[in-house]
Amino acid sequence: MTERASVENLLVLMQEDIRRALKNPDRRWGMVVDTRKCVGCHACTVSCIAENKLPPGVVYRPVVDQEIGTYPNVTRRFLPRPCLQCDEPPCVPVCPVGATYSRRDGIVAIDYDKCIGCRYCITACPYGARTFDAGRTYTEGTPEQQPYELLPAYEYGEERAREQDGDKSPVGNVRKCHFCLHRLEEGQLPACVTTCIGMANYFGDLNDPESLVSEMASKPNGVVLKEELGTKPKVTYLV
Amino acid sequence: MTSIASPAAQHRVRRPIKLPSWPERLAWLVAIGGAAAGTIGVVWRFTSGHTAADYGSYVPWGLWVAAYIALVGASAGAFAFAALIFSARWRQHYRLAELALLVALGTFVAGMLSVWIDLGHPFRAWRLLTNSQAGSVMGLMTWFYLAYGVVLVIGLWETRRGPVPRFIERFAWLAVLFAVVFAGAEGSLFGVVGAQATWESGLTPVVFLIEGALFGVSLVAAAGALFKVLTSETAKLLGQALLGLLLALVVVEAAEIFTGLRAAVPAKRHVFEAILTGDYWWVFWVFHLALGVVVPAAILWHSRWRAPFVGAAGALVGTMALASKLNLVVPALAAHEDIEGLAEAFTGPGLVYDYMPSTMEWLVTVGAFALAGLLVLMGHTLLRRLEQSARPAPALTQEGV
Repeated sequence: MTERASVENLLVLMQEDIRRALKNPDRRWGMVVDTRKCVGCHACTVSCIAENKLPPGVVYRPVVDQEIGTYPNVTRRFLPRPCLQCDEPPCVPVCPVGATYSRRDGIVAIDYDKCIGCRYCITACPYGARTFDAGRTYTEGTPEQQPYELLPAYEYGEERAREQDGDKSPVGNVRKCHFCLHRLEEGQLPACVTTCIGMANYFGDLNDPESLVSEMASKPNGVVLKEELGTKPKVTYLV
Repeated sequence: MTSIASPAAQHRVRRPIKLPSWPERLAWLVAIGGAAAGTIGVVWRFTSGHTAADYGSYVPWGLWVAAYIALVGASAGAFAFAALIFSARWRQHYRLAELALLVALGTFVAGMLSVWIDLGHPFRAWRLLTNSQAGSVMGLMTWFYLAYGVVLVIGLWETRRGPVPRFIERFAWLAVLFAVVFAGAEGSLFGVVGAQATWESGLTPVVFLIEGALFGVSLVAAAGALFKVLTSETAKLLGQALLGLLLALVVVEAAEIFTGLRAAVPAKRHVFEAILTGDYWWVFWVFHLALGVVVPAAILWHSRWRAPFVGAAGALVGTMALASKLNLVVPALAAHEDIEGLAEAFTGPGLVYDYMPSTMEWLVTVGAFALAGLLVLMGHTLLRRLEQSARPAPALTQEGV
């Protein structure tokens, strides 16, 4: 842990990093997850669902609970899995309409108005990080659909009410984590980072050598998932 | 006995329409019943969105994609068969080639319907043309489909009545080449997906080529036997082609399964284990291998190339095509978690590594296959009528007057 971080609040520090990064056109957003600090509380999963108004069957950041070893030498490891925002994303070249694309800041985004819902990108993602919005609601099968089901989400900075046939509705699209881009552009940290009770997430500009995230990403105990595939994820795990 | 009718009068004479045979009538009945079931499925799909389907986020493709690749592959196979006959100028088989073009059209339209309905936004399908990405195999396939549809319609239009135009014979070899590239590209759609260990193989497009030819020829044989257009010569040609293609399929599948089971990478091994011994083992052993390969091969072997037997074998191979494609699409996605423990990390509808097509999915697929059958039946009836009207009526005789 850095000397700075140990004395200051990590969130405040990362907030400053973000504001600095927003002034840098060559910023490259990245995340580091310290698995040793993750307690598997799923607060990040829930906050993400609340932030992005995710319907049933759509999840951006599940926390995988892995059991390692055999009794009596058993331990548990928690592995939060957002979209890894790969530098070489396999989901991008397969998209037949160019709806999924890599942004200059490194985030792999989806143009909800272009996506035709073919789900080819889901098959191409080796991390299972993409989900399909089939149009389900939490009040499905109940006498009345509750108004909160139709509240708009603000993903990608656009208001998108959840209607079955609405032009702007994300129903029928493939959806994924975008590091809360709508928050980032307002200088706020992703929802999962702010709600982590163990402060296990580090977020910021990987191109900024002064940022906390770039410092953590360069730790020797940092690993990325399925490194052998060469997808170059921008989410590093400290183990 | 002298003819007294003028040529114009000869055309005015209506010849009696021959009633279809009982197998043909049965086929009409099955196709209409299937289309009715399909209509229910389509209405269900559009009123409930994708919520009534069993595919989801971890198994994003299912029965409809399997039906689509089976039907489009069969279409390419039937088309290549017709083009091959035209390019070789085997004029004695031209009637069969025309039927093959009809089969190609019917299966192509049904395959397109199946994949269109699978889209999250079917009414944005036009974006495939306006926003097409050349780097994506699926984007590339859109243009292939468009070109293929145009060539198919031109082929059918030009051969609908009378002699086949010279340009069709001259350029048919190009169409054969096109069909080969088309079917191979269809396989590349899967072959380029590195995340799925069993899809990413140089063998995948080859399997698609062989299966496309096999399914196409098998459906042409079935249709030929149904409409009684198979001569002993054409039945022998089709029977031998079917047997040869079945053998080729067995060879490539055996190679795939053997290397897959011996693969050191569990992701690959698990998929083949699931196909052979998993919960849905019967899809491979019963529907694909027994009913789709062994029984038809046995029928053909003992058929002495008689048309009804060749047709029956073709019908079996053609309908079991779906089992083969289901085993390509589903186990690859369902048999192996992308990250160990992901299925339990967060649960919800669609977040499972398991798949069994829902009733709605089955209804739509039955409808798609029935549509292919209906188009062939209607097309054949229409062609027969056009042919009858084009042929001069027998001259009226004095006795007839």
